[in-house]
Amino acid sequence: MPFSELLVELLLMPILAFVIGLVMVLMMRRIGARIQRRVGPPVLQPIYDIIKLYSKETQISHGLMHEIGIIMAVGGYIAAETLLPVPGLDGLADKGGAVTLAYMLMIPALGMALGVGQCANPNGSIGISRALTAMLAYDIPFILVIFGASYVYGTTNLAEMISIQQQQGVSSWGIVQMPILAITALLILPAIMGKHPFEIYVAPSEIATGPMVEMSGKFMGGLFVMQCFQLYTAGVIFTTLFLGGGVYWITFLPKIFLVVAIPMSVAYLFPRYRTEDVLRLMWKWPMLLGLIGLAVVMK
Amino acid sequence: MNELDKIPVRQEISVADGSAKRSNPLANVFDELVRFCQSRSMFMLHYCTGCGAIELPPAMTSRFDMERLGIQPMVTPRQADILLITGYVSVKTLKRIILTYEQMPSPKYVIGICSCTVNGGMYWQSYATAKVLREYIPVDIYIAGCMPRPEAVISGLRDLMGDIRSGRADNWKRYFQNYDYYLGNQQKLFGEDWQTPTDIIAEAEHYGLMTDQTLGEHTALLQKHQQPLEALEFSLGEKREKIQGENR
Repeated sequence: MPFSELLVELLLMPILAFVIGLVMVLMMRRIGARIQRRVGPPVLQPIYDIIKLYSKETQISHGLMHEIGIIMAVGGYIAAETLLPVPGLDGLADKGGAVTLAYMLMIPALGMALGVGQCANPNGSIGISRALTAMLAYDIPFILVIFGASYVYGTTNLAEMISIQQQQGVSSWGIVQMPILAITALLILPAIMGKHPFEIYVAPSEIATGPMVEMSGKFMGGLFVMQCFQLYTAGVIFTTLFLGGGVYWITFLPKIFLVVAIPMSVAYLFPRYRTEDVLRLMWKWPMLLGLIGLAVVMK
Repeated sequence: MNELDKIPVRQEISVADGSAKRSNPLANVFDELVRFCQSRSMFMLHYCTGCGAIELPPAMTSRFDMERLGIQPMVTPRQADILLITGYVSVKTLKRIILTYEQMPSPKYVIGICSCTVNGGMYWQSYATAKVLREYIPVDIYIAGCMPRPEAVISGLRDLMGDIRSGRADNWKRYFQNYDYYLGNQQKLFGEDWQTPTDIIAEAEHYGLMTDQTLGEHTALLQKHQQPLEALEFSLGEKREKIQGENR
């Protein structure tokens, strides 16, 4: 691939991810509103929010690490987007693969931890310790899922996984080949996206949005941008591993939106789990299912 | 307190020119866009001091759904744009309101709901109630009533949206421009050693909002009593034992 073409892809992939992520945030808020029998926000609300946050006149910074933390949080996701193959754009997917992607997805949480640490707000510290514990809880089933998928397809290369599923039809899709692992992934999806019932680290009414408690203006704006990437990444990973990815956007987009919509529709019906319950739940059921799924796949 | 009474509290409100336009037409378009987004996305921190708070849940939930207008509740002053004060303000809560208000990032707006924030309402004769909220922090919109219905609350918020869009809602600047006046009124209630962690004078300098009303006799009193804010000492077990040993 010529250098200039790669450069265009690397630019285009995060931008597309951001735009699709904005629509996903809108969808999430609309689903929440409909479940609560409300009308919900207008179509451009996510953009209004981000522009408003960046246009605040007071930008309260708590030091260099606070700023670097936000850059790491957004940058980690931008790096992850270049590793995620989407129709027509492969980016670095050939060179990266699923394992690199799993590492990249940890960087945002670590960046947040660094940034929040400098804010020195007790609510923020509690929040970030909860967030890292939740990450510990869902990462083990997540790695099991990635391992199982790589075993089935015989590769960790995400682009190859898609081409295998595309060439051999629906019967070779991950969801048919390894349904138990797909259910495991669906169970941990709300935790990856940081939504109910696993949003213990945000917990607005107890610890005042946890890690975000000292974030204002452009820092909060950065986190809003990060949320767009977060939803998009979760949707695309699941689609790539289990739903055959996509050759055309017209078949790819409905899949990723469906994947994000399922946990969202369930999420708003539940209250939160406590941190230790998240850990217990995640290490019991998804992990058990993941191990059974692995055993079935490997026979 | 007698000393304080001798210092006059004056405020000569200068009418701020909210429609100041920049010479570059593109910059004007940009400003319009920013103001539009600010008016369509308001995060509100509701400081529910009194009975008016009961009218907010219906305004937020399915009956009147504020999220249609882009208004959603936020829980920390750092993220908030609007400070909603719903009901009577006792002297004790006023301290918290001022602390919260000063921590909010500008542009920030204050909405006083119920008659109690306008003139004390039924608490007019109470010794423990701060009657007129606008003497202590600048208020953008009052929604009068005892209590105002959710329709009135939403109508008030829409008025604020209109003000933000046209650039008239710049009362947050007044706090910096007339800091001496607001601080004077605060000192009359809380005593002359009243201070907050936020350095308003430095912020006023930073935003270029210093006027001859910013500094005065009350800020001189503040600077006289001001103690530098120091971070709480972080101590682990060893240190604590040492302190306990010393105490023994």
